[in-house]
Amino acid sequence: MKHSFIDRYADLDSPLHLLEARSKIIGFTALIAAVLLIPPGSGTAFMLFFFLAAVLMGVSQIPLSYIVGRTLLILPFVLLAGIAAPWRDDAGFVRITTLLMRSSLCLILLVVFTNTTRFTELLRGLKKLGCPRILVLNLGFLYRYLFVLTDEVMRMKLARDSRRVGRLPARRELRLLGSMLGSLLVRSFERAERMYQAMLSRGYALDFPVLAPRRFTARDIVFLGVVASFVYGVLR
Amino acid sequence: MNMTDHAVQITRLNYSYPDGTRALEEIDFDVRVGERVALVGPSGAGKSTLLLHLNGVLQGSGTVRIMGRLLGENHLQLIRKQVGLVFQDPNDQLFCPTVLEDIAFGPLNLGLPADDIPRRAAEALRNVGLEQTVRQRSSHHLSHGERKRVALASVLVMEPAILALDEPTSNLDPRNRRHLIEILAAIPATLILGTHDLEMVLALCLRTVVLDRGRIWADGKTRDLLSDAQLMDQHGLEVPLSLRIGSSQPSARRHS
Repeated sequence: MKHSFIDRYADLDSPLHLLEARSKIIGFTALIAAVLLIPPGSGTAFMLFFFLAAVLMGVSQIPLSYIVGRTLLILPFVLLAGIAAPWRDDAGFVRITTLLMRSSLCLILLVVFTNTTRFTELLRGLKKLGCPRILVLNLGFLYRYLFVLTDEVMRMKLARDSRRVGRLPARRELRLLGSMLGSLLVRSFERAERMYQAMLSRGYALDFPVLAPRRFTARDIVFLGVVASFVYGVLR
Repeated sequence: MNMTDHAVQITRLNYSYPDGTRALEEIDFDVRVGERVALVGPSGAGKSTLLLHLNGVLQGSGTVRIMGRLLGENHLQLIRKQVGLVFQDPNDQLFCPTVLEDIAFGPLNLGLPADDIPRRAAEALRNVGLEQTVRQRSSHHLSHGERKRVALASVLVMEPAILALDEPTSNLDPRNRRHLIEILAAIPATLILGTHDLEMVLALCLRTVVLDRGRIWADGKTRDLLSDAQLMDQHGLEVPLSLRIGSSQPSARRHS
């Protein structure tokens, strides 16, 4: 079974892709924090950030349709959260537009970030920035096994559907779901055990090695400089 | 006989699972350097458990010697370099985000120079007949047969003296199975196969050990043991078709 990866376009080689992971982690976090700090209603600041996001999207060479598609995914949640705002008071309309602009900006930035940085590079960057090793290791496993687990769920679902005709009473439906979740937990537990044995078998001793990383270069300094001066300039 | 003639020497190995189930009882098992041995038996016989003792991932009572060296806490790293273990489910073994990182995992852990690893990885992929382009792919996007081969490559790259494989042909289609057998036939290392694919055993191993309910019941020439219908039947196996037909007359059956 095929799944789409969160870093699907991370193997392109645009200027953004060539940056070192650490500078992107810092740069994009700063940008996202700045987006959250824009005061409601300051249209110019939002426009400037949208302009920056557009530039980043253009530079990144990621297909526009992909970024837009990903960003739209979050919209229902945002609308749900803010749907009542316009009727509450006069400032409500401003609030929901601010919310919409903020969330779509953050999402665009995140999609550009995760698709210009290979997940492994991201992990290494986090590690170098002082993120606890065990957390980084587990994020790595999450990335790898999310899809194995999804497959397992799909197979279980197929097995259930092929033995069930029509809908069952809600209680039995729930019990079925419960036992599926239970067996998924047991299976994951057993898989984790076997994985650890496989890791030990290849000489694992509590450090996760990384191969051929990118280096921090002048390019990264330029990127961070641009981000810093942009954030300062807009929010001043 | 000189001790170093032996790749594996196991004496009186006993092992029980944490819940108390006895998995291995009084196992005596020797393998000579360069030998290819099959460990056959039904599911749940203890094949995987025995294989996990070869590099100390599991440690029961009794002694295990690898290349003459007693397995214990102080030699674990060295022994894990010497014994390459290939797991049955490649999804258990391939835990890195990309194929290349999985192949590099063992060598990097063993402290081999990082700049030598791309070359070693290329060679390992070549040895298992995979394109070099799979390096940057995620193992999740490979077919099961390809994943099995990557799992093998991730162990071969450590250049083990002893290669132990758990059900290497399970879930493979005939072409991938044939291909894997050819790859294994070309590997110079001492080979230990835990399997119930008896046709593969016939093709690869001169010696067979029958393991069932945690005990060794027979140890001898592959052809003798596998053609013993009573022995096979007692241990949940069956005489392979090619031995039943008789290898001398396959051509006579062709036009029937």
